[in-house]
Amino acid sequence: MDKKQKKKSLEEMIEVVLFRIPKEIEAMRFYKSAAEKATDEAAKELFENLAAQEKGHEAELRRILNDLKNQLNELKKEE
Amino acid sequence: MKRSEVKEYNGQNGKPAYIIFDNKIYDVTDSKLWKDGVHMNRHKAGEDMTDFISMAPHGESLLERDNIKFIGNLEEEKQKEDKKSKYRRLYGKFHPHPMFIHFPMGILYFGAFMLLLYLFTGNISFESASYYALIVGTISIFPTVLSGFISWWLNYEMTMTNVFKNKIVFSAILIVISLILIIIRSNYLPPHSMNYILEVIYVGGYFLCLPILSFIAFNGGKITWPS
Repeated sequence: MDKKQKKKSLEEMIEVVLFRIPKEIEAMRFYKSAAEKATDEAAKELFENLAAQEKGHEAELRRILNDLKNQLNELKKEE
Repeated sequence: MKRSEVKEYNGQNGKPAYIIFDNKIYDVTDSKLWKDGVHMNRHKAGEDMTDFISMAPHGESLLERDNIKFIGNLEEEKQKEDKKSKYRRLYGKFHPHPMFIHFPMGILYFGAFMLLLYLFTGNISFESASYYALIVGTISIFPTVLSGFISWWLNYEMTMTNVFKNKIVFSAILIVISLILIIIRSNYLPPHSMNYILEVIYVGGYFLCLPILSFIAFNGGKITWPS
C-alpha cells in the first residue's frame, strides 16, 4: 500500500471510529437511565452491566481514534 | 499519589509500571502481561484502566494475583466537572442541530416550489411567498450552522474528515448564494421584471440551493447513520 492509499485508508478509519463514539455514549446513557428506572435487582444489574460495556466500547474507540490520528500525523510529517 | 503522578510510572526506561483501577493504584511491573509497561500492545502503564475492564477477557480479580501489588488509593484532585460532558449531556437532551436543519430544508424547498408556481402561473403572490421564504430560510441557516459547529466540537472533537469538510464548505456556499439572492431580489422587482441575465441568476441560484441543501443533509445523514 503506498502512502496516498494508506492516508486515505487512515482517514476513512478515523471517520468510522469517530462517528461510532457518540453512539456508544448514547447507548450508555440509555442503559444507565434504564438501570435507574428498573424495579427489580436483576434488571438493574443487567442494565448496569450493559452500560459498563458501552463505556468500555467508548474508551476503546477513543484509544483507537488517538492511535489512528497519531499514525496519520506521522504520515503527514513524512510528506 | 495523584493521577498526574501515576502517569510517571509508565514502565519505560526502568521505571515501575503502575496502573489505576477504580481509583486504586496497582504496581504491575512484575506481570509478564505488562512487559515494558505495555499490555497486549494496547494499554500503557500510568493510565486509568477502569473503563476498559468490560472489554477485557478477564475480570478485576486478576489484580489480586501475587505479581500485582496494591500501592494505595488514588489521591483524587478535586476534579473539575468536565464542562464538555455537561454540555454534551445538554446537547443530547435537546439535539439542536437535527432540529434546526429542518428549517432551511423545509422553508427553502417550499420557497423554490412557490417560485416554480410563479414562473408557471405568473401569480405574484407565489413570488412574494418565495421571497419571504428565501429570507426566513436564509436566517434559519445561521442557527443550523452554529448548532452544527457545537455538535462537531462536543461529539467529534472538531476532527476534520471529508464529511465535515463537505458540510462546512457547502454550508458556506449556501450562505453566500442565499445572501446574494436576497440582495438581488431586495434591489430589484420580481424575476419577470429583472433583466434576463439577472433573472437567470436569481431563479437559477434559488433552485441551486436545493441540491446544495440536499448534499449537506446527505452528509449529515452519513454521520447519523454511518455505513
